[in-house]
Amino acid sequence: MEIIDRLSAGDPEKKKYYIRLFLDTIEPELGNLQAIDISVDQEPIRAILHKLKSQVQTIGAVDAHALMSAQEQTIKEGKQITRSELDNTCELLSVLIQNMQDLLK
Amino acid sequence: MSKHLKIALVDDDIPNTEVLRDFLIRNGYSHVDKYHDGESFLETLERFDDRALVLDFDLSGGGELNGLEVLEAVKERSPQTHVIFFSGQDSLEVAVESLKNGADDYIVKSNAAYALVKTSLDKVYDLQVLKLSERRNARISWALAIGWMVTLVGVALFVAN
Repeated sequence: MEIIDRLSAGDPEKKKYYIRLFLDTIEPELGNLQAIDISVDQEPIRAILHKLKSQVQTIGAVDAHALMSAQEQTIKEGKQITRSELDNTCELLSVLIQNMQDLLK
Repeated sequence: MSKHLKIALVDDDIPNTEVLRDFLIRNGYSHVDKYHDGESFLETLERFDDRALVLDFDLSGGGELNGLEVLEAVKERSPQTHVIFFSGQDSLEVAVESLKNGADDYIVKSNAAYALVKTSLDKVYDLQVLKLSERRNARISWALAIGWMVTLVGVALFVAN
């Protein structure tokens, strides 16, 4: 979360504000990814991955960004990702959300 | 030092837009507006719009238009407007297509990308300052030329009399 520190220029209130902003987007989208039916059109999954990958990168979650970029690329190439691959992403996002919530305490 | 360059950020990614806006304000750009879809930005676009535009490529979370369509509309209505793409699409083809269609720069979103956007906007700002200075110099040159002509006519009339 060093990046959030840098972006908030050491202002603790700003830092919390940014964390809440990112949580407001990432949390509902994680719920969407967990509930989505992957056996049909995967374009909605690609759209969510695309939206979230920039955000997780901004807050410094390099692993989550790399995984989501690879999965987005797979879908773009017309291939499908599996439920367990998507679950790995959801797992990383859950950890990220937990870390961010801890910072708000 | 405050830089007098108006900037419009068009991105459906709300947190990133907010953070980028704060970053630019902290770095001297006091006039930064944000829009979360291309349509609402285009409603405000004027014929000779002097704003620099930082535009996302994939605006699917916002309105109907994508970044390329917004770029096309901007170049049609206000060709001199500077457009910097700030996109999550790390694709050479997309970058080339954007530049071919009149974008001034293409920056892929990353941790260091905010600084790159600022550097790109600094160039636009320097260019605007240079153009203003050229216009001012041209006005001074005209004023001097007219002054000389008036003086010469005055001298000629004086000699003639």
